[in-house]
Amino acid sequence: MSSSSVEDIPEQCRDLFTQDGVLLKSCMGRPISDLNSIGMLCIVQNVDSSKCIEWRPNDLITIDSDTQDQEWAVVNTIGRRQRTLSGNMTSDYAAARARIIRIQLNELKTFKCSRNNQQMQFSTKPGVWHNTFYFQHGNAEIFVANLKNHVKTAKTRHDRNTYVVVEPNVESQELNRSFAELDIFTENTTDVVWNFVHNFKQRPYATTMEAFSKLNDIVYYGNEAVNGKRDVTEEVADLLTKSMSALEDATSVTRSDEYEVINVKPTLPPRPCIPRGTSLSTEKWEGLHDTEGRITEVEGVKQLIFRGGVANSIRHSVWKYLLDYHPWTMTHAEIKVLQKKRTEEYFSMKLQWRSMTEGQEARFSEYRDRKSLVEKDVNRTDRTHPFYAGDNNPNLVILQDILMTYVMYNFDLGYVQGMSDILAPLLLLLGNEVDSFWCFVGFMDKIASNFDMDQAGMKQQLLNLQQLLMFASPELARHLAAKDSANMYFCFRWLLVWFKREFSHKDIMRLWEVLWTGLPCANFHLLICVAILDSEKDVIMHKDCGFTEILKHVNDLSMCLDVDRILSTAEGIYHQIISAPHLTDQVCVILGIPTVGAKPEEPEEPEVPQAGPTNGNAVTYNPDMEEVTLEYNGLQISVVTQTVWALLA
Amino acid sequence: MAKTYDYLFKLLLIGDSGVGKTSILFRFSEDAFNISFISTIGIDFKIRTIDLDGKKVKLQIWDTAGQERFRTITTAYYRGSMGIMLVYDVTNEKSFENIKNWIRNIEENASADVEKMILGNKCDLDAKRQVSKERGEQLAIEYQIKFVETSAKDSLNVEYAFYTLARDIKAKMEKKQEASNPPGNRSGVHQLKDSDRQRKPTSWLSRCSLL
Ligand SMILES: Nc1nc2c(ncn2[C@@H]2O[C@H](COP(=O)(O)OP(=O)(O)OP(=O)(O)O)[C@@H](O)[C@H]2O)c(=O)[nH]1
Ligand SMILES: [Mg+2]
Repeated sequence: MSSSSVEDIPEQCRDLFTQDGVLLKSCMGRPISDLNSIGMLCIVQNVDSSKCIEWRPNDLITIDSDTQDQEWAVVNTIGRRQRTLSGNMTSDYAAARARIIRIQLNELKTFKCSRNNQQMQFSTKPGVWHNTFYFQHGNAEIFVANLKNHVKTAKTRHDRNTYVVVEPNVESQELNRSFAELDIFTENTTDVVWNFVHNFKQRPYATTMEAFSKLNDIVYYGNEAVNGKRDVTEEVADLLTKSMSALEDATSVTRSDEYEVINVKPTLPPRPCIPRGTSLSTEKWEGLHDTEGRITEVEGVKQLIFRGGVANSIRHSVWKYLLDYHPWTMTHAEIKVLQKKRTEEYFSMKLQWRSMTEGQEARFSEYRDRKSLVEKDVNRTDRTHPFYAGDNNPNLVILQDILMTYVMYNFDLGYVQGMSDILAPLLLLLGNEVDSFWCFVGFMDKIASNFDMDQAGMKQQLLNLQQLLMFASPELARHLAAKDSANMYFCFRWLLVWFKREFSHKDIMRLWEVLWTGLPCANFHLLICVAILDSEKDVIMHKDCGFTEILKHVNDLSMCLDVDRILSTAEGIYHQIISAPHLTDQVCVILGIPTVGAKPEEPEEPEVPQAGPTNGNAVTYNPDMEEVTLEYNGLQISVVTQTVWALLA
Repeated sequence: MAKTYDYLFKLLLIGDSGVGKTSILFRFSEDAFNISFISTIGIDFKIRTIDLDGKKVKLQIWDTAGQERFRTITTAYYRGSMGIMLVYDVTNEKSFENIKNWIRNIEENASADVEKMILGNKCDLDAKRQVSKERGEQLAIEYQIKFVETSAKDSLNVEYAFYTLARDIKAKMEKKQEASNPPGNRSGVHQLKDSDRQRKPTSWLSRCSLL
């Protein structure tokens, strides 16, 4: 049995990889009280240089109603005893250490990811999942990618998300090092503290949630850097105290003594504030290619781009991958061949319309109509940008040529207004006609349904948006409905050209590359809409804001939006939604995550009848039960009648 | 609080893509012309208050995207319009032929008594002209709709067009009122309620607006 408690942490253990914000959902042989606490999942090198997966609890951040008072006590303690941790702290420390879970890599048999990659399970014996962890921030992809450097795995045929360990991987040191760069969560602990102090003032609750686990390490393990350089001063303690009251405020509803049915509204858990990362740099990008130029850690790359976008200096290269022009798995040599082929293809399609005679054109009205539409729009595309400004600008000719060639490439779709907006930033960045064309093709493939003749794709998206808003911001959705705006038509422009008209060129590049990753879920662009609307809620819900004012206000937001803030908000909303106990199938389907109603992929473990507070499956409906225990944001709520379920539904 | 207007008219600009709807509106609302305009995606509106026979008339003018496939969305905004400008481009035969389709479109989606007017825009481009003024007039007679050739670029007849349409709406409205209210009681159904008049200019109206 591998997942045993350890009493001692060997002194010379080395953390190879650490992932914060990982929740212990189930563990064989552990008391239920140990579950649902947050900790850090690590890959650790033991003294004998064998390796293991280790999970360490961060008790401070356990959001459990029972332990909340305890947390207060701990917080207060910090102020008084800055450096000498003794007494209770020591016994807490020992208790925390006893709860560490270790899985030796040479005993690991299988592991699997589920729940939209947010859940990871490990097994050391076929057919038994010993441990289940839930990744609160982001998902398990980077952890899996890292783990795969240490164990050789094969995917099982019946389930793409289950990995069978073939043998421990010994010759992976090199990869290891390069992957350390991918470890976007590793920070210097001293910086963590000071970032925390700094960020706290702006966003107290969220900052606390993010930083607690890290800060906690310093308190418990007595980080030298902190002790040596700067004190964790009273100020920190103060801020912690304040932040804990913020935490309490956010959860107080469910902590009241009386559980009146009427008060249990299907509210969302608090919105985590997930900071944006730094952009993918030239060095990182180059380091991600193998010697022949292939990119193997595709998911890791996408994660990085999702977090922080791409540095402008390498956009021209990265975009070709994101837009499916260059396949990730191709070597430099293969890409050269491909590029040559695509260039020929492009010019032969271009020749098709270039060689059309005037007479032909005169008898080909469909072609003529398209051509005139393209001409009209090219003359009205980003003309204020220096790249497209002025009379007889040669870049306008290229814009026109690419769009006309696209008409030949996809005659059925032809040219639809909005396409020039999609193409303009691509040509502006890539500068090359052929590359821009193929990247445009890739982008169009992602959004082709926006341009359906009957606009079915757009209507579906507007409907989905309305449904997401109803879930994420119900008061706002109801207000819109009351103001005759439930059809969400005022978001039409946002969706048709993926916010192109709402942001500057610089910002739209960032937003698009993030959206192209397809992370963290399907239709994330709809959550961008929700994020914008939610942040404009106060204005939109003002009593004087009717049908026309809503449209005007939304249109006038153009060029007044902060792309990073919106991305961060949208991600926060995503986490709120998927953590909501009342998550509906409808919402799951829109976001492309497993439906709530669907049977869990794995048999429920008998030891843990109700695992996982932050997961959509946390709530189990049992109509026979008179008293139902709801897991909500880590809090246990007992509700007495079944009518609650009707309210939640 | 002083009332800001006596009447509010909702107007609509329709016509093929590129005929100059946005340019006409920009000329009327800002008295400017911008060669590097962007195509309209979705829908937007502009406001201008004009003085008509001593009454302040607030015109709320809606501008739609011209391309046919967006019509399913844009027609949702036809409802409640009191006047419609049908715009074609005198240098584009097709846009002229399509006026008939646009009229049919109105009949299906707008209220029956909506005031209409046909505009032949870009009349400054005589060298490129494909549709003569006579053909425009002929079409207008056929449908019994007023007609004028305009140039958003040279600011020709744009003011005239909007004033004419607004005056026609006002006349029609007042006639209706007289019919329903005997003289002496002219409260007027279309006149705004006090609560509406007291509306302060709200913040979004003062923001920069990008069409
Ligand atoms: N010479 C001339 N050009 C004009 C005139 N009005 C508009 N244009 C030009 O015609 C083009 C199209 O004008 P828009 O106002 O954008 O056309 P629109 O009808 O709003 O088109 P959509 O938004 O696509 O439906 C622009 O390049 C304008 O500069 C005019 O009166 N004279
Ligand atoms: Mg327009």
